[in-house]
Amino acid sequence: MLEHVLNGLYYGSVLFMIASGMTIIFGVLGILNLAHGELYALGAFCAFSIVGFFAGQVAAPTGPVTAIVFALVVLAGSLAAAAVLLPVGGALEATFVRPIYDRDEVYQLLLTYGLLLVLTDVMKFVWGPSPVDVGVFSGINEIPTTELVGFSYPSYNVLVILIGVAVFGWLVWFFDRTKTGRIVRATAINREMSTAIGVSTDRMFTLVFAIGAFFAGFGGAMVSIGPGSASLGMGLRWLVLSFVVIVIGGLGSLRGAFVGALLVGVSSRIVTPYFPQLELAVPFLLMVLVLLVRPEGLYGTWGEIQ
Amino acid sequence: MSRFLVDRDGETRVRLSEGMELTKTQSVLAVVGLVVLFAVPDITRLTGLSFQAIHRGILFGLAAVGLNLLLRHTELVSFGHAAFFGVGAYGAAVLASHFEVSSGLLLLLGGVLAATTIAVLIGYFVSGYLDIYFALLTLAFNQVLYAFVLQSGYFNYSDGLSVRPDGLNPPTLFGLQWTSTGYDLILYYFTVVVLVGSLLVMWKLVNSPFGRALDAIGQDRTRARFVGIPVEKYVWIAFVISGIYGGLAGGLFALLQLHVSPDPTLYAFVSGEILFMAILGGFGTLVGPVVGGVVLVYLLIQAPFYVEYYNAVTGLVLIGVVLFLPEGILGSVPKIGTGLARRRRDPGLLRDDIAAIGSSIRRGVTRAVTTVRIIVFGVN
Repeated sequence: MLEHVLNGLYYGSVLFMIASGMTIIFGVLGILNLAHGELYALGAFCAFSIVGFFAGQVAAPTGPVTAIVFALVVLAGSLAAAAVLLPVGGALEATFVRPIYDRDEVYQLLLTYGLLLVLTDVMKFVWGPSPVDVGVFSGINEIPTTELVGFSYPSYNVLVILIGVAVFGWLVWFFDRTKTGRIVRATAINREMSTAIGVSTDRMFTLVFAIGAFFAGFGGAMVSIGPGSASLGMGLRWLVLSFVVIVIGGLGSLRGAFVGALLVGVSSRIVTPYFPQLELAVPFLLMVLVLLVRPEGLYGTWGEIQ
Repeated sequence: MSRFLVDRDGETRVRLSEGMELTKTQSVLAVVGLVVLFAVPDITRLTGLSFQAIHRGILFGLAAVGLNLLLRHTELVSFGHAAFFGVGAYGAAVLASHFEVSSGLLLLLGGVLAATTIAVLIGYFVSGYLDIYFALLTLAFNQVLYAFVLQSGYFNYSDGLSVRPDGLNPPTLFGLQWTSTGYDLILYYFTVVVLVGSLLVMWKLVNSPFGRALDAIGQDRTRARFVGIPVEKYVWIAFVISGIYGGLAGGLFALLQLHVSPDPTLYAFVSGEILFMAILGGFGTLVGPVVGGVVLVYLLIQAPFYVEYYNAVTGLVLIGVVLFLPEGILGSVPKIGTGLARRRRDPGLLRDDIAAIGSSIRRGVTRAVTTVRIIVFGVN
């Protein structure tokens, strides 16, 4: 049982990293970014190239110390891979998304769907159609954390859970405590007013989109260096799941995305071993239930509901 | 004036029935459209276009017409329309493979009834929601159905069901067993008849008091409630009607493909595609969704045979439509038409056009340079 919960937390942490990017993009820019899943996949592919290169520079781990060094190198590599998404996200926002802010939401959906298709083929062009795997998972997993939870459990998953919590902490800190974060929030609430006090909304939006893309890419890198591999279709499933997460949590709420991701992750991992036929449906049943009881989501504060 | 011609606003109009009148241009276009529809089998034979792809496009277009009732009039974005398309298809497939019903029309009827039931159920839950919540709730119901079908032995998991009642031959149409080519042709003409009928019904519907009420709901719910429109009930009814269109299209799809599996009929991205067809063709028009359906399905099915990066081609077309033709393909025709006519009258405008294109490219480049500078240096 505890193992299922831990699996669920791992699953939820990855989900949170993707959904957090989506939720801040939606919360600030008001764009439901369908291409977000592809940004995640792009992160996974970049991790294949960059982490693969980084890991090649150090020897494979033999003991706990070398394993930790190895893990740090891999982590640095995944951060570098996610950093690729910063300029990519910024450029996408400035070129394609910026002209459609004040248009109907259907156009935003259509445009980001178009971006999704184009990004898929860009990845197909660069990395080829077959899935790729970095192959550093067993290396990081040699760090002994078995004693930490009392039974044999992959240390990599624990690492990802910790990283997920760290990402949540950083985002909360950024939006609550830093000047830039507060400016971003002000821009989200009232664009005209923040323009009037001298904030460049264009630059803010580019920044926010880039940050959102960064976390999607970081989630992708985490999955790619873990037991999963980077493949072309990987974005779609997580895209739909992160919808579910941000809707359960309340659109645009970071805390909601965090709780929602953990809820979805844990519930689906607990239910699946006993009712395997429910595996795909659990997140959606959860979402339907939450929406029927609390239409604005768990932490949703705004949104016109009648 | 005869029974079929009326004079209105100083213009002769063709009258189809009470309240359904076409201007001269509209009637010419309608006749041309009908002729093209009926000539598609010959056109495809002559030009080498894919007949099957166009047929499928028309079916998805029919579903998009249904979706458009919600999108255009009540301004609700349904992201779960594949639920009805898929249930329609599965309804027909279940009847054919589990109950060995061999009449194609009965299969279609079964599919439509199943889709209607599902639409009534889902509509009951979603009709009070708005905007993105409506979209995501319909998406959720869609995915629950998809997950249910994918993991249920009755529906044969991801392999799907065959729509061949005796395991070998396609269903009978109008009481007769056809050869495979004959079956495709008859089914196509039947589809065209259904399509034209559905379009007429839809036209009648949106121009009725009910359609006006839906418009009012789309503009302002509170106001609509104050003038006495039972908002939730009307949205529910509109939702069911749009579901019936989806079910009809899905049932025909099952008869065309003779095999139904979850991914091409029920998956969330099919919902997205149906939505995008409506926008692509022009969701402000009645026939636009059909055009969008044919274009998008044709791109999705046929592009892989011509280019390796077919997704990118489709994606670029969609991006182009959003950025340059916001009214959709069909919706932009009048604008392009008047634009061209003005250019013909006054060729000097062309020079202005070229200047405008040049300056917009220059602006784009400047913007890109600024963006790059911001990204690299953090400031402009």
